[in-house]
Amino acid sequence: METNVLAWLEKTADRLPEKVAYHSETGEITFRGTRERARVIGTALSHRNLGANPVAVMLDKEVDTIPAFLGVVYSGRAYAPIDASLPEARIQNILRTLSPSAVLTNVSNQDKARRCLSTEVPVLLLNELSGDEDAECLEKNCRGILETDPLYIIFTSGSSGVPKGVATSHHSLMCYIQDYAEMMDIQEDDRLGNQSPLDYIAAIRDIYLPLMCGCSTHLIPKTAFMQADLLVDVLNRQKITALGWSVSALTVLTTLGVPEEYTPQTVRKICFSGSVMPGAVLRKWQQNMPDTRFVNQYGPTEATASCTYYRVDHLVEENEVIPIGVPYTHYRILLLNENGEAVRPGEFGEICVAGPCLALGYWGNTERTRRDFIQNPLNHVYDERIYRTGDIGSMGPDGNLRFHGRKDRQVKHMGHRVELDEIESAALALEHVNECAVLYDAGKEVLHLFYAGSANAREIAIGLRKTLPGFMIPRKMHCLETIPHLPNGKTDLSSLKDMMQTL
Amino acid sequence: MKETTRETVLNILNDIRPDVDFTTETGLITEGILESFDLLTLIASLEDEIGMEIGNRDVNAENFDSLDAMVRLVERLTQS
Repeated sequence: METNVLAWLEKTADRLPEKVAYHSETGEITFRGTRERARVIGTALSHRNLGANPVAVMLDKEVDTIPAFLGVVYSGRAYAPIDASLPEARIQNILRTLSPSAVLTNVSNQDKARRCLSTEVPVLLLNELSGDEDAECLEKNCRGILETDPLYIIFTSGSSGVPKGVATSHHSLMCYIQDYAEMMDIQEDDRLGNQSPLDYIAAIRDIYLPLMCGCSTHLIPKTAFMQADLLVDVLNRQKITALGWSVSALTVLTTLGVPEEYTPQTVRKICFSGSVMPGAVLRKWQQNMPDTRFVNQYGPTEATASCTYYRVDHLVEENEVIPIGVPYTHYRILLLNENGEAVRPGEFGEICVAGPCLALGYWGNTERTRRDFIQNPLNHVYDERIYRTGDIGSMGPDGNLRFHGRKDRQVKHMGHRVELDEIESAALALEHVNECAVLYDAGKEVLHLFYAGSANAREIAIGLRKTLPGFMIPRKMHCLETIPHLPNGKTDLSSLKDMMQTL
Repeated sequence: MKETTRETVLNILNDIRPDVDFTTETGLITEGILESFDLLTLIASLEDEIGMEIGNRDVNAENFDSLDAMVRLVERLTQS
């Protein structure tokens, strides 16, 4: 049994050395090339006397980025992918939490990386990590990796205003990738079309399935997802067979005429995840691509991207709510009530996950980790960790789980996890915003900011863009005399909700 | 007439993304300045406020990469 992802890479590079593993519109790299490049990067990092902490990787959506991730692993460290296009203040926050041993980046992002670091952390350029590999040193590093060691740290929205770094082990990742490959029937001749940015959780499939199965991944530029003709041309030209895309991307594309006017010709497997799939959207894809398998996947970053899947076995109705299905092989699902007791079939409960796919926790945040990853309250005889997702679910009579929203103020917006509290604290930090509340109109996919203060909408939008990613900027801003309050002093969210619906 | 179309489109754009200078950018789509949800909001707003319909075949970089291109598209679609 393999104990780390490098064993997959070594095996597949021996078996299929000349096969292209990752390709894009601008470059490609074989399995042998991926191994060689990763080993050179691993050697160069090992020879630099860095600390043991993770290496932050700030690179673009290019094929070279993947051997960079794996090179960090060869050096015996975990990697933390960071989207270089995020606002500087956010990257600073992430780096402060991470406390990396180095930042690996390229010429175009190096100044930004430097500006985001407060301490003397080395900023390394990918193209300067060259030379020969030191096989002895790499061998020693690899032997030192336990399957329970962190492989990556991926950052996600945190309600306190500071992003949370989810640390995931080699073992968790390998269990999930095997489960996914089995369920989607991913084979060596499959060609995956990558949608997710490489720093985002959904990209782990596109990165690691080739290493495990010997298939290949095509990195599709983000801008293609706004140009239906161009995107479908890429899919057809590259003979892409399998997609693991966000519901949000598929929904946007449906509005732009995919697959009705522009139909992918070679895609046979589509897994969608990230938010609730509207029946009307899925129906359109099913009708235009009758030979394609569609799978709804559900799960958070804290459970290695997933928990459950539902293989759609019939043409769905426009208003149909699609179940989230059954757990993958390496997962167990519990539905618990407020007292930590199992709910009865059909009753609502918090979806909790157990099994080897649970994340190690939040990097550098034991308090939050202990709150969300707890002892299974149903198990009194041995230690069994479960993760509380904060999602509400129920078990249907057909044995499939159903999803019923959140128990807190987290929303799914355009495929991203967004904590409304985080937007509020960012807005309150701006000048001339005295009070505010953020609400989400899920039907129209619009974030609303209600605020009291003398700032205008333009000033707020520009100010928020300095600390928050674009998808977290409220599209609608409403200036009020005062924010309504309940007698206990809390914001009166329900009267704001009424206001939002009449606007 | 030409002046007002341009102003209307610019107002819509500024409303959606107040942080972008639409009078100078020429790679709104190809350089990834607009996000996909910006583009969808933009299409919906143009259709609502100008009372026109934009077909999927017209949603491409050529027609949406700059303010000028959008003005040309709106004029072409509203004239016919």
